[in-house]
Amino acid sequence: MRDRIYELLSDALPAVDFDSDFLFSELDSLGITIILMVLSKEYDIELGAKDVTPKNFKSIDSLVQMIEAKLNAKL
Amino acid sequence: MILTLEQSIKHFASATPDKIAVVCGSDSITYAQLWDSIVQRSAELVEQGIKPSRPYVYRATQNIDFVVTYCAVHNIGAIAVPLEAQAPEESLQTIRAEVDGCSFASDIVDILYTTGTTGKSKGVMLSERALVACTENFIVDLGFDSDLMFIVSGPLNHIASLFKILPTLSCGGTLCILNGLKDINAFFEVFELPYKKFATFLVPASISLIMQLSYDKLCSLADKIDFIETGAAPITRHDMERLSKALPHSRLYNTFGGTEIGAVCTYNFNDGRYMEGCIGCPMKNSNVEVTAEGNIVVSGLTIMNGYVADEESTNRVLRSGKIYGSDLGYIDEEGMIHLKGRQGDVINVGGFKIDPSEVESAASSCEMVSDSVCVAAEHPIIGTVLKLLVVLTQGAEFDKRALAQHIKSKVEPYKVPTYYEVVDSIKRTYNGKIDRKFYKK
Repeated sequence: MRDRIYELLSDALPAVDFDSDFLFSELDSLGITIILMVLSKEYDIELGAKDVTPKNFKSIDSLVQMIEAKLNAKL
Repeated sequence: MILTLEQSIKHFASATPDKIAVVCGSDSITYAQLWDSIVQRSAELVEQGIKPSRPYVYRATQNIDFVVTYCAVHNIGAIAVPLEAQAPEESLQTIRAEVDGCSFASDIVDILYTTGTTGKSKGVMLSERALVACTENFIVDLGFDSDLMFIVSGPLNHIASLFKILPTLSCGGTLCILNGLKDINAFFEVFELPYKKFATFLVPASISLIMQLSYDKLCSLADKIDFIETGAAPITRHDMERLSKALPHSRLYNTFGGTEIGAVCTYNFNDGRYMEGCIGCPMKNSNVEVTAEGNIVVSGLTIMNGYVADEESTNRVLRSGKIYGSDLGYIDEEGMIHLKGRQGDVINVGGFKIDPSEVESAASSCEMVSDSVCVAAEHPIIGTVLKLLVVLTQGAEFDKRALAQHIKSKVEPYKVPTYYEVVDSIKRTYNGKIDRKFYKK
């Protein structure tokens, strides 16, 4: 899942360094919105403002954790 | 009589010393502390050798310290030249060299760099008269007062955010600085602070984003939001209507302005008509007329003195005390002004006016790029974004990420295209220029 998310997001936001551990500080509101749109479409989950936290957007790994938690909650 | 920003802060430092003037995250500063900080910073600037009518170039950090420096520069009679916080070092040095080589009239207080009406980045010289007139326009036509907390989330080197410091603190209100809207929860947390009423400026893309992500939360703030001002880019009728439904009692303004002209017109679209493109009537210190060709011409106290070191561009835009910009429009039977679009090649992304040739120039220095054209594209939520059509150098492999990173190293982040497409060739006119009309279709 990590590789897929990395690939999807790098394609959608090529100027962003998704290897960063300070991802939230690299992004602007456009970037955040695009990430929410890409991930909610790919995994058919609802993502909203409450999910936009510095913790969830700290790195690619924290985004993976957020998606995994959302998918588990759906089960 | 409207005082200057610094005179007002000094006044409130004495009249309401303990009132909070500015909030930023967990930091806050009272009017008395703000004035003390300005006085102290003024002394530091003098010690650094900053002299009256000389420019002080600095990065616009999104915090209280920015406000202190901005006011201190004015306080010693120098000229504030705030640049984008993430401006590349190269841009900073270029601008510093440009302004250091010029002399300025004694009434110039700000130089704001913008792509504005002309496309190329230019330093717009603004006088104290223009700042005071803009302040009065906002206070009278939007209704700033001392009970208001005004939230600025946009970059403080941009006039739309920078000039909200003026009416907020000139009325004895409280300014709240946010670092963009990416932490949307931080934006909503501001409304939990103990203030009677709130107001903010949001570009249309941010309004769209907030309604997309948190419509219910926005509705729950209906009684707290005194007004929202938008501008810098067109807002759709759909978004006007939806925002009006969320905030039925709030004033919702679509303001027309620019770095060269200041804040000029405003239209409260929460009137049941939601007129797309309408920018209302001129504010107190502004006049608007429309030429026979449909160009909007602005005059009045808020307009610029001219561009730094560019007499030719100044004379093209500023003639007989009137600014001839690129916006097209008409005046209806009620005297309300309506925008119909823009002449020229500038692309408006979320309020940032971008000259596509600057992006193409940055791309052209990347080895994989043989030719390119930067065009406007539509994003489902954000609205207009940049797209780069690229012709690859023979034998080169397309690496979108490497190209985006390359462009990012050359220009400000908002100028990096969102979309990329490899094409076989770029359509050019008979004399070799990019056929921009073709790409606008």
